[in-house]
Amino acid sequence: MLVERGSDIGPGITCEGLSRIFGTGAARIDALAPTDLQLDGGRTTAFVGPSGCGKSTLLRLIAGLDPPSAGRVRIGAETPLEMRRRAGLSVAFQDAALLPWRSVRGNIALARKLARMTPDPAKVDDLIATVGLAGFEDRRPADLSGGMRQRAAIARCLATDPQLLLLDEPFGAVDELTRARLNQELPALWQARGVTAVMITHSISEAVRIADRVVVLSPRPARVVADIAVPLPHPREKGPALDALIEEVGAALARHAPAPPPARIAS
Amino acid sequence: MILSPARWRRPRTDWLRSIATALVALIAWEALARALAGTYLIAGPLEIASYLSDHAGLILRATGWTALAAAGGYVIGNLTAIALAAVAILIPGAARLISSLALIVFCLPLVATGPILRVLWGPGLGPQVTLAALAVYFTTFLPLQVGLRAAPPNWFDLVRSYGRGGWTALVEVRAMAALPYLIAGLQIAAPAAFLGALVGEFTGAERGMGVLTIRAMRSLDVAGTWSLATIAAAVSMLAHAGIGWLWRRLDDAPPPLILASLPDARTDRRWATRLNLILVVLVVIALWWLSMEFAGLNRFFAKRPDDIWAFLVTASGAADHRTTLFAALGQTLSLALPGYALGLALGLGLAIALLMLPALARAIMPLAVALRAIPIVITAPLVVVAMGRGATGTITITAVMTFFPTFIACYQGLKRTPAALIDLFESYAATRWERLTLVQFPAMLPAFFSAARMAVPAAILATTTAEWLATGHGIGGLMALTASTSDYGMLWSSVVLLALVAVAAYAAIERIERAVLRRYGAEQLVR
Ligand SMILES: Nc1ncnc2c1ncn2[C@@H]1O[C@H](COP(=O)(O)OP(=O)(O)OP(=O)(O)O)[C@@H](O)[C@H]1O
Ligand SMILES: [Mg+2]
Repeated sequence: MLVERGSDIGPGITCEGLSRIFGTGAARIDALAPTDLQLDGGRTTAFVGPSGCGKSTLLRLIAGLDPPSAGRVRIGAETPLEMRRRAGLSVAFQDAALLPWRSVRGNIALARKLARMTPDPAKVDDLIATVGLAGFEDRRPADLSGGMRQRAAIARCLATDPQLLLLDEPFGAVDELTRARLNQELPALWQARGVTAVMITHSISEAVRIADRVVVLSPRPARVVADIAVPLPHPREKGPALDALIEEVGAALARHAPAPPPARIAS
Repeated sequence: MILSPARWRRPRTDWLRSIATALVALIAWEALARALAGTYLIAGPLEIASYLSDHAGLILRATGWTALAAAGGYVIGNLTAIALAAVAILIPGAARLISSLALIVFCLPLVATGPILRVLWGPGLGPQVTLAALAVYFTTFLPLQVGLRAAPPNWFDLVRSYGRGGWTALVEVRAMAALPYLIAGLQIAAPAAFLGALVGEFTGAERGMGVLTIRAMRSLDVAGTWSLATIAAAVSMLAHAGIGWLWRRLDDAPPPLILASLPDARTDRRWATRLNLILVVLVVIALWWLSMEFAGLNRFFAKRPDDIWAFLVTASGAADHRTTLFAALGQTLSLALPGYALGLALGLGLAIALLMLPALARAIMPLAVALRAIPIVITAPLVVVAMGRGATGTITITAVMTFFPTFIACYQGLKRTPAALIDLFESYAATRWERLTLVQFPAMLPAFFSAARMAVPAAILATTTAEWLATGHGIGGLMALTASTSDYGMLWSSVVLLALVAVAAYAAIERIERAVLRRYGAEQLVR
């Protein structure tokens, strides 16, 4: 056992023959090739892959926000819909999706309201402090930077104590230093409680640092091209073990990189 | 995005400039009135002021009655609009039917509906309130329809990710996202309600400004007519400005409002459109019939669909009826169409001209926004007298009625070009002309088309009012005749025919709009 875990461990995720095709005829876009996946409960899995390959699509399928073209998703013994109905999961959307007329505090409290939970102002303020937004509680999203909005969105995700977290590039717009700090502090919040997490990221070092498993996807339509376990204890410090894994993920990505356009040399 | 944090403040110099422009306009008005003294056309500001102080009590009481009817209709019409829009969102299958029915009711010609309402309601406030409600509900319903859908899909995904459905999305997301659109609709609705109440009073109310207006016009009381028009304008402008002020007190910037028609759903098939059409026709006929039967209204004046059919098709004099009706319609359309087209062209042209001359625009725009609120129609008889009873007067009033909303929508549409795109063009030092044709014009198209659509019933209203009160030609003239001879078959037939024409025109413009917007991809700027 690598991480000390709480008594109830989050549900595992099973995808069977899961695929998604957008549009028909000439406008057809294959976003996700038929995929079988088994993600263990209580673990954090990171997905990496080139831009536009279908990562967000996969995440939305897992959350049941999009209907699959084929195949099915099970979260534990439940369908995504059943899971959502009992507010068992939270999604951090790629573009934060904060409501512009609510303050930071109001946006985070909204999650508990939507999940039919009792209001918990103390918890909300705690989370705001954890993501480094203390002092901005009453500001509207328009007053925040892109990275601050993303942090508010993560705080909102955690406000409902979900068993499954689906994070779509949660730190994409956050600066390097803050990102490193959040990478240390935030995963500890959910990993200690045995939450199952699925995270999309463009940062290989972030994936290796946070996740127990890194899945590398091919260019569109997304297929799994590498599946790399990260058997290191948390918190993970920089070192040769981590570097080797970063190397391995990077190599897998590079092997399946989209073909570059033919080189043209200016005369 | 939808709400911007920047507070909307106009610099003091702009206010000064507006006041200066208004003063210049007043002086010019007075000078014109003096120059034309003796021709019984124009009353100047001083004459109006003295008339108002002489008849203060009478006019105050009349304004009170009209404002009461307008307020009643305003509340009823807007609540109806909100309820309809909410139902259309919650029951997506019903959305098309509701929109179609709402459009048909919007296209009912006020001038012809008024006399019918008068016989149905009898004396009292009924017709005024009903017409005011009819005049406002669509201008609230349409922005709400757009506003309730004007949230990024992610916000709904958020609601769904916690397992909540359409009702929660309506309350937590759509209602707030639609608020700016609702306010804008409410603002436009305020003067429209006043106009509706006035037209309702033309049909034979006992008291109110409409009654005074008719009386003043019949006796060619120039000072009286101009005074009443001034009061009507002042009340409308105050209501318009008051709601705008409230909104700015409440929250942030006035919203970027573009009332593009909702994009075609890809799944929309031909047969679905036809099915909807058949369904709408059936529902309209059923509602019409049932409401008359249940209210137990006398067939003599409350005609049923089959009465109209008989009147126009099967009855003995049907051919004569048709000849009369279509001749009148032809006359009306021969004036309404040029007036409407002229209004659109002038509105678009002036908007572009002012965009090119920003200094002039800063002075003129606040006045134009205020003038939009004036119920221009009540000056129709004066304009017709001024321009002669021929075609020019009616065309002018129709053009003016179409011009204002088009001009303001186009100007705001031109100004609303995304700042990032303007920056991009600036960075290449593009000329003003390039900027206009390549960015601003396409960005303006949705606003232009929505104005063009909404102006259809307004143009018909203007033409028929001028005909009714002044020239005695066309459908408006026929209205006046049939109302006095109790020829209710003709009256109802005119309503049906004009409503059909308006719906057809509206639908035709919507078609053109979709084709053009698809080509320019401008709907992407809307989202
Ligand atoms: N609703 C949709 N309709 C049509 N095509 C879509 C839709 N959503 C996604 N796509 C297409 O599916 C493909 C994958 O999109 P997706 O958003 O999953 O990419 P991604 O891997 O998350 O990219 P990024 O790293 O840039 O966020 C893209 O080519 C996109 O154009
Ligand atoms: Mg994505």
